[in-house]
Amino acid sequence: MSKLAGKVAVVTGGSSGIGLSTAKRFVEEGAFGYITGRRQAELDQAASLIGRNVTAVQGDVSNLVDLDRLYAKVANEKGKIDILFAGAGIVDPQPLAEATEESFDKVFGINTRGLAFTVKKALPLLNDGGAIIVISSIATGKGIPGFTAYSATKAAVRSFVRTWTAELKDRRIRVNAISPGPIDAPIFEQQAPTKEGADQARAAFAAAVPFGRLGRPEEIAATALFLASDEAGFIAGVDLPVDGGMTAV
Amino acid sequence: MSRLANKVAVVTGGTSGIGLATAQRFVAEGAFVYIFARRQEELDKTVASLGKNSAGVQGDVRKLEDLDRLYSKIASDGRTLDIVVANVGAVDSVKLETVTIESFNHNFDVNARGVLFTVQKALPLLNTGASIILTSTIASLRGFPGRSAYAASKTALRSYARTWTMELKDCGIRVNTITPGPCDTPLIDAQVSTPEEAAAVRAKHAANIPLGRMARPEEIAAAMLFLASDDSSFVAGSELLVDGGMCSV
Repeated sequence: MSKLAGKVAVVTGGSSGIGLSTAKRFVEEGAFGYITGRRQAELDQAASLIGRNVTAVQGDVSNLVDLDRLYAKVANEKGKIDILFAGAGIVDPQPLAEATEESFDKVFGINTRGLAFTVKKALPLLNDGGAIIVISSIATGKGIPGFTAYSATKAAVRSFVRTWTAELKDRRIRVNAISPGPIDAPIFEQQAPTKEGADQARAAFAAAVPFGRLGRPEEIAATALFLASDEAGFIAGVDLPVDGGMTAV
Repeated sequence: MSRLANKVAVVTGGTSGIGLATAQRFVAEGAFVYIFARRQEELDKTVASLGKNSAGVQGDVRKLEDLDRLYSKIASDGRTLDIVVANVGAVDSVKLETVTIESFNHNFDVNARGVLFTVQKALPLLNTGASIILTSTIASLRGFPGRSAYAASKTALRSYARTWTMELKDCGIRVNTITPGPCDTPLIDAQVSTPEEAAAVRAKHAANIPLGRMARPEEIAAAMLFLASDDSSFVAGSELLVDGGMCSV
């Protein structure tokens, strides 16, 4: 298992769910991983779960100072990035009739603006021929009540992938999006105030998936590994749904 | 390298180009591969080069009795199927004002009807969790003069992937399309008279591709491997573009 031997990967949103699973898989395949997240305790737990060849850097992608700190550390210690996985993202369901500026700004601040600057600030360190993977969502192709801001932030992210594919082509940096369907991850806890509510949300989403189940974070990680590796050497600018068939519904 | 250990695959159109590269990669990863193609001589050459983990069945996807013969052989060999790559395709170049019934029928008979029956007749042999991959074309995403019937017939494949995802979901069978961009094969040299002309053709294709070059057949094969393997266990009903960014910008 060494598709990423010698590579340096940065994973935002790396303390839980898809980001953690991806960072773990990248390290298993030989990469050195930097993981970042807002909560130090979760981050430290994630780093010890991964076990080796990982460094945790606390930070909020919506805060440019935190991004500078992350990349200064990477520059100092490794001097390069081969793979950037932008997995940091939040959901904050609000029907449009109840939408608040605060929620709107928070979700866009992390999912869209935070992601854009995560990538911008990595550019000086990214090796030519490197890979950028961003997390969009199949929600962009669906109408899900409560998801005004979330779905829009993710649609913007897919659009970024096209623009950056064109901008970065001379450096042969491949930029791709993964659009996960519903994945069994702690983001569900953000969608309800109680455990029962979160589990109900899980069940409701699973029922909408043709495969009848939520995806596993490892299934997103396996897709990210593919896109990050030389196996995907001719794949650029795409949005790859990993959704148990939801695009077919 | 054994991501397809103990798996059995069918590759139609497996004696040249993308089909051959795919069969080679599948065998290298531990699969037993049945090749289905029209010309016995090419079939024999391919099986000889692939080695003992391959077998050839001569036939034409337009003839239902030939498809029956393919799947009867697999069954009588005591095997069941994990992977079907419906890769046979016909193509021609005819502007709308000169399209004939023959050209129209040829494209649809091979690309739309042939693929449907290739997959239909595999169904009784498919294992739970099997992966069906349909080879599409960027011509179904962009307007290329001369491709009226070709592009339309190939667009059916994206639709099949959705329909069959919903029909086969309870068996855990995944149906996806792969959409290759321009691929660098000896066919390019075969269609011109001088190396300079060949270089000009390659350069013309490359000019439209963000990654600045054509695909290598092995790169399409690597994407086929991803969709054929358990790494894509939650990928269903999707279209995987392997086009160097061409159709995303």
